[in-house]
Amino acid sequence: MKLRLSLLLTLFFSTIIIAQSKDEQEARDFFWGENDTYKTVVNVPEKWQNESAVIIYKNENYDFHKFGKKVNYKSSIRKRIKLLDKAAVEEFSEFSYQKRFRVSKGVSLGTRGNNIIGVKVIKPDGSESIIDINKEAVEVDGETKVAIPNLEVGDIIDYYSYSIEPFKSTYAFGFNPVERTLSEEYPIMDYKLFFETENDFFINFKSFNGAPELKKIETDKKNLRRYELTESDIEKHKNERWFFPLVELPCYKFQVFFARSGKFEKRADAFLSDKEEIIKTSVSKEEVLNQYDDIYPYGDLKYEERFLKNKEFASDSEKAIAIYYFMRHHYLTRFIEAYIIKDAGILDYPFGVYGNDATMFNSDNTFLKHYIAILKDNKIKCDLLVGKKRYDGSLDDLLIYKNLNTLIKTQTNPPVYVKPFGPHTTVNTFDPTLEGAEAYLLSPVKRWDYDQIERTAVPVSNYQVNKTNKNIAISLTDDFNGFSVKSVVSYTGHEKEDQQFDRLIFKDYVDEDYQKYETESFIKLLRKSKQEKYRNELNAVIEKLREKQKETFVNSAKTEYNLTNIEDYTYSINETGRYTFEDPLSYTEAFISTGDLIKKAGPNYIIEIGKFIGGQIDILDENKERDENIYMGYPRSYQYSINLTVPEGYTIAGLDKLNKSIDNKTGSFVSSASLDGNTLTIKTSKEYKHNYVSKSDWQLMINFLDEAHQFTNEKILLKKS
Amino acid sequence: MFKYSLTFLFSFLLVLQLNAQKNTEPTQNEIAQANTIKESFQEDNVAVEKESYHITFDFNKSDQKVTVFEKINKNLINLDSRADIQAYCFYDGESEIESFTVKYKTNRDADYPVNDEAIKSRDLFHNDARVKYVNLDFPLKGYKYATETVKKYKDIKYFTSLYFNDDFPALEKQIIVEIPDWLDLELKEMNFDGYDIKKTVEPNTKNNSKIYSYTLENVAGMYKDESAPGPSYIYPHILVLAKSYSYGGEQYKIFESTQDLYNWYKSLVNSLENNNTVIKAKVEELTKDAKTDEEKIKNIYYWVQDNIRYIAFEDGIAGFKPDEASNVFKKRYGDCKGMANLTKQMLLEAGFDARLTWIGTKRIAYDYSTPNLSVDNHMICTLMKDNKPVYLDGTEKFNAYGEFADRIQGKQVLIENGDSYILNTVPVSDASENIETYDYKLKIVDDVIFGSVSKKFEGESRSSLLQYLNQLKTDKKEDFLVWYLNKGNSNIGVVDVITSDLSNREIPVNLDYFITIKNAISSFDGTAYIDLDFEKELSGYYFDERKTDYILDYKKHLISTTTLDLPEGYTVSELPKNINASSENFDLSVTFTKQGNSIIYKKDFKIKNAIVKTSDFETWNVFIKNLKALYNEQIILTKS
Repeated sequence: MKLRLSLLLTLFFSTIIIAQSKDEQEARDFFWGENDTYKTVVNVPEKWQNESAVIIYKNENYDFHKFGKKVNYKSSIRKRIKLLDKAAVEEFSEFSYQKRFRVSKGVSLGTRGNNIIGVKVIKPDGSESIIDINKEAVEVDGETKVAIPNLEVGDIIDYYSYSIEPFKSTYAFGFNPVERTLSEEYPIMDYKLFFETENDFFINFKSFNGAPELKKIETDKKNLRRYELTESDIEKHKNERWFFPLVELPCYKFQVFFARSGKFEKRADAFLSDKEEIIKTSVSKEEVLNQYDDIYPYGDLKYEERFLKNKEFASDSEKAIAIYYFMRHHYLTRFIEAYIIKDAGILDYPFGVYGNDATMFNSDNTFLKHYIAILKDNKIKCDLLVGKKRYDGSLDDLLIYKNLNTLIKTQTNPPVYVKPFGPHTTVNTFDPTLEGAEAYLLSPVKRWDYDQIERTAVPVSNYQVNKTNKNIAISLTDDFNGFSVKSVVSYTGHEKEDQQFDRLIFKDYVDEDYQKYETESFIKLLRKSKQEKYRNELNAVIEKLREKQKETFVNSAKTEYNLTNIEDYTYSINETGRYTFEDPLSYTEAFISTGDLIKKAGPNYIIEIGKFIGGQIDILDENKERDENIYMGYPRSYQYSINLTVPEGYTIAGLDKLNKSIDNKTGSFVSSASLDGNTLTIKTSKEYKHNYVSKSDWQLMINFLDEAHQFTNEKILLKKS
Repeated sequence: MFKYSLTFLFSFLLVLQLNAQKNTEPTQNEIAQANTIKESFQEDNVAVEKESYHITFDFNKSDQKVTVFEKINKNLINLDSRADIQAYCFYDGESEIESFTVKYKTNRDADYPVNDEAIKSRDLFHNDARVKYVNLDFPLKGYKYATETVKKYKDIKYFTSLYFNDDFPALEKQIIVEIPDWLDLELKEMNFDGYDIKKTVEPNTKNNSKIYSYTLENVAGMYKDESAPGPSYIYPHILVLAKSYSYGGEQYKIFESTQDLYNWYKSLVNSLENNNTVIKAKVEELTKDAKTDEEKIKNIYYWVQDNIRYIAFEDGIAGFKPDEASNVFKKRYGDCKGMANLTKQMLLEAGFDARLTWIGTKRIAYDYSTPNLSVDNHMICTLMKDNKPVYLDGTEKFNAYGEFADRIQGKQVLIENGDSYILNTVPVSDASENIETYDYKLKIVDDVIFGSVSKKFEGESRSSLLQYLNQLKTDKKEDFLVWYLNKGNSNIGVVDVITSDLSNREIPVNLDYFITIKNAISSFDGTAYIDLDFEKELSGYYFDERKTDYILDYKKHLISTTTLDLPEGYTVSELPKNINASSENFDLSVTFTKQGNSIIYKKDFKIKNAIVKTSDFETWNVFIKNLKALYNEQIILTKS
């Protein structure tokens, strides 16, 4: 029996080893076999001799095959790269990968995914050595690392990574979408993207911005389809500030779907081609409309009904807003203390205190359906606003379903826009990357089915509302070696949300919501005998979070004003700004800074007053020319009021340099200084007026950016009278 | 959606599942105790009430090795409102963790999962070091846990030292070493001066052993200072010198003397095949046109520096035994031992007398008078030329022949010499050999400073700059050089940079360029205030909270001279005062002089031994404070 078992095991393992080596051979033949036309290419064009490395050939392959529900998915990449300096040798001298990996797609077939790596080094004389990966590699905790031997400047490294991922999917399955520019960090001499598929695999593919089209390659099998995209002579691209590469650079996007029958095709979260043999390159608005079939009113509304009972609202808009914030609390912020308690290890399962009353939304669609249901219950009609993010190209180029973002727009006056919530999400707030983008508006004509679609645009917020405002009061320390600084800071619009995550801890907003909705805190829901223990432990978490917060804020103030020493830091929140887009998050911080921004000049002092508006963008000479349009997050403004108390016995000189004004269609920087008694007041305003600026107007932007930067260099003289 | 909204519905459990055990909450006394401890250790969030290391020995007959058992018990207490820490224990191919337990103060098992991970190191491509650890959360001030780990060293060779300081401060730290009569082991007390370490030695008649017990109270946690000396310099510890053992009436040596340590190292080296067939052609190529021996040596040494990448595999014996020179040559990579061996074999092939050489870098306080595997951490090659040793370290890049990196200077070397060995010391160079000379010749026109700059780098300042420049991407080098010279400040324009040959490690690096500085002059009412210094070296080196010596990469000597021609019609109304400071470890001075119509501003900073000692801090900090004030002071020109 023992013998048989071991024999079986041996057979089993040998089968695996044979299969593995078969795959290895297959990968090697695929890339480096007889048909490899790049085998002998060793030279790179003269124009790229000064690059760090040049990619002689880059080849990406996607292979989709199936047997019933079983899918065998292979993806691979090969790069043949000439290494022209030590930096490149260093970069390509070590590889790490997972040889065997857990299958992440569909249902696992019990076998792991397999990554096969092949590397060869070609010397300048053309001699080749294939690296014995199994000999050179070390594997620790599932990670395999290889140090490439005998790799020197002037060599070519030719490597491939070949991944085989088998899985089973009864239902429709979408592979991850791929959206890439053709260019990368190194220039490419030749590039090829290759697909091989058969029936039941649907491909959405399109080239953009001048990238070549995908071409069909004829095969002798009816069921077998092959496609390729080739390009040559691709310059590298550098990472620019304020740039969306997919909007301007030659690129391609694709997604592949596996759907075995019409039934599954219909249910797929994708825009599928009518037939597998047709590559889908565009999506009509009718298709978008059809895709929203599954958004209909649905949900248990008893909590909302209870909340609305006996409440009067001035309008349906007000009612829709009130429902939204109630839901944000009822389905999210009400549970945040429990999550904190779980994360801190205080209780393994704190949600028991909510009994059977702990419901949350597990997807955006669940939220949308629920909110529509409560609107319907209150006879408030609503549309769906469906848009695509600006960095992802225009709506006409829609190809991938996952790229759509959905908001609800009530048919009220004024309309209310809502999106799935986070702890600070407000109504009438659009993702900045959606603002100004073209969109579809889906409306219900008959009853509550969305059966009408038209084009629209997502509203754009303005720079006045997306604002950072700082009132900074400064006085000199007694020894004239530093400053006492007190700032009242407020953020509104899009400037606010990131700050809310940085500046508020959970305690700062859950109490606010408990009070507003008259709900009990987590501790109050516990049995009395347990309350003190868990209150203490939760308070300890809060104390620790506050300590860490303070460290972060001190460092952030040091970075903002370029200070080395900060003492006596205090911080308090004035408003959380969580109930409208326009309401501010506001806080006050105060500290003493020593040793910076003041310079001794004989009996006088020079104050680097310009530094109090924080660091400004410094456009270096190399970036003064620009070939790309400018894409920013959102229009925004920064308003500072700096009030310096002039010490007794001193006067101020140099105010003239603090008066600046550059205002053009792209933005502005305006500053003014005035003296009233012993208070010097400096007001500055910096505005980025749009979220997009044409490259032809780059110089206009530079003008106001440079002026703001110059302001940070300005100083005043504190003159002994 | 918000990250918390991942779960849809929770089950209908009404009963809370508690992980916290009963009676584990801290008492008022324990909270008071935490507060008291915190007063002494304000920087720490957790302390150890009692920490004990209990060391025992055994003999493994099957492989004839002395084994070591290290049982570590710690009683931890939280000093803050809350703490989240990791309790951990390292091990590797030569050791294993036999048990790892965590208990509540009630003595019940806390049952935390023990994680086991490989340790990733930036310096080592692969090593066999691993860690077992437990994530411990202390929910309240005064909360306590007790941890116990038992680690087994399979071979006493690898059990080298015992430290009193650990991650957390300890009210009492006890180290107990139970030495059996069959084992000759010396416990060498290192850095005990200034510490009240109580030591007792008692016989244990039950098993014929002697129990050495060391106790130290109020032990600080290990310092978190950057650029600190290696731990063997700053903490009290016991160096474990395992000399020999008796078995079956015979005595067997471990490391009784330096000769024994050498013998073991040498046995590893002797097991190399040294088949140099593959390197012969390269040696021939590198030496055939060389006119002198020195040229031949340099060609080989520089080739190793330039062509062998540092990639280290520290796995078991590979941590001590060099790789075959032929392997390193073929792979074009290796660790220090591999590079030393390749250098040696290439030099041997070229007809020179070259030897492998063990050395502890300046991070290690010991020399070979204490034979133990922790005395060294590096290997180089010694070339015997005219009966004089020349040290060649292939891991150094752009190191000129005859120059030695500061990290090995003054350190004792153990040089291969057949069955015996040679002990020697790497020569120490003067800071002036690494001199950086900056010469600014500046003028003022329309509130803009402009002029020419000449910078010269020698010795290690040269090699570190060359090394940095040569690892940059070719297409980025030019931009980097400008960035390096203007510190990324757009107020400073740098043009027409002329460099010396940046591939030649034997000549100083010269950088000559023209500079324009905006916004350095502020003019008010006919008076110009000038900020003449935009480099402001050393201004960030004020050591107010530092507990340990500050170690520099190498000895520094900077002489920076700025000559500013005054614009016509202006006179200097105020110059900052000259400052200087000196100690055994540094000479620092800044002077302003007026010469004709020019101001000469000179900084001369010499840090002679690449160290600023804590005993220097008072003098040092006064100087740095004055220096910062000076950097903040403006030169004032008034219109005459």
